[in-house]
Amino acid sequence: MLDAYSAMSLGITFIATFIATFAATPIVAKLMRSRGITGVDIHKLAKIEVPEMCGLAILIGLAVGATACCLTMPLAVREAAAFIGTVLIAGAIGIIDDLHPLGARIKPVLTAFAGVPILILGTYVPYPEIPLYGPVRLTIVYPILIPIALAVTSNSINMMDVMNGAMPGTVAIVAFTMVGILLWAGELRTATLAGGLLAAMLAFFYYNRYPSKVFDGDTGSLSVGAALGALAILGRVEAVMVVALIPQIMNSFYGLSSVRGLRERREIRQRPTRLLDNGMLQASDVKGAPVTLARLILSAGPMGEKEVVRAMMILTAVSSLLAAATYWLTVSVK
Amino acid sequence: MKRILPLAAIEVFVWFALLAVTFLISKVAIEIGFGTATLAARIATQTVRLLVSGALVLGWLLAWKKVADLYLSRMLSRQGANA
Repeated sequence: MLDAYSAMSLGITFIATFIATFAATPIVAKLMRSRGITGVDIHKLAKIEVPEMCGLAILIGLAVGATACCLTMPLAVREAAAFIGTVLIAGAIGIIDDLHPLGARIKPVLTAFAGVPILILGTYVPYPEIPLYGPVRLTIVYPILIPIALAVTSNSINMMDVMNGAMPGTVAIVAFTMVGILLWAGELRTATLAGGLLAAMLAFFYYNRYPSKVFDGDTGSLSVGAALGALAILGRVEAVMVVALIPQIMNSFYGLSSVRGLRERREIRQRPTRLLDNGMLQASDVKGAPVTLARLILSAGPMGEKEVVRAMMILTAVSSLLAAATYWLTVSVK
Repeated sequence: MKRILPLAAIEVFVWFALLAVTFLISKVAIEIGFGTATLAARIATQTVRLLVSGALVLGWLLAWKKVADLYLSRMLSRQGANA
């Protein structure tokens, strides 16, 4: 149950994260533009240069939020330290990848290291809750699964970050759902951290939405994915998170299986979508093109980028409702 | 909205399939046990449980992929026919 003290902590963390991310994003964007760290917005007819690596602002916002959480809820220090440690490690890998692109095989291996703070601080319970069954004892195997889980979540979010607003828009919906579910579960500390992630995503969405003024780069997407993985582990909602991330998993799993394994974007010749002369996007009909969520959405017919992102957000809202139903099924077994 | 209904339906199918897989895991994988007397027995139990669960999850992912592939090929051939 959410008492006044926890509600205050959640509120302060939310506001602090939102203000920090919202204020930091234009500053980081200006810095990146001045250093020539920009990327081309490939889904527009006018090839606009947009500042890259602005996910640094998300890292700043989440660090401020985790600090606010520690100050207002001193009992949450270990969870907040594990959370922000995980996010910062994934963010550091993202920075390296943005500056000197890493190989498609090395990136998942490196992101697995983001699980180290959770393992060192012991902020996990090796009894994951299985829907329709309840907790399962995995005391030996669970610590091995933590780095794998973080590699999966961070790279799934990274692969979803292909269109204006897709990453912060969909993750905001997942984070909002997680706040609700974690409050329902009585995991107030983790719910507060999830509130921080929600605030960071809403603030970043303002700048990243169509037409994007900033790109988060791998710095942003890998750290946000790791944040979701950390929330699932800290809050003991692993299966619920898998359901909430169905569109993201769908996107990465189809993408990987259709190109037969881990490949860097540059290695894949065929694109899943193509830009038409009228500015609309169309699904590629080439047989070897990667099967991504965007291609699946566009297979119904050409659409604008904004509409594709809206479709991704609706699909995430559906999976979030299913995640809530999964949690209800899990607790009803108890 | 109407255009993404089939994809939302795939999501719901995937969710039901996930529940079926977790039910199977609880009835098959979790029931596997080599005792808890020694560390080796505990490691063997958890490893075999994980492998069996992993195989079931892989089956879930493949079923999911099959449905999505079918949807994509159908939609693309329909688009091709319209063009």
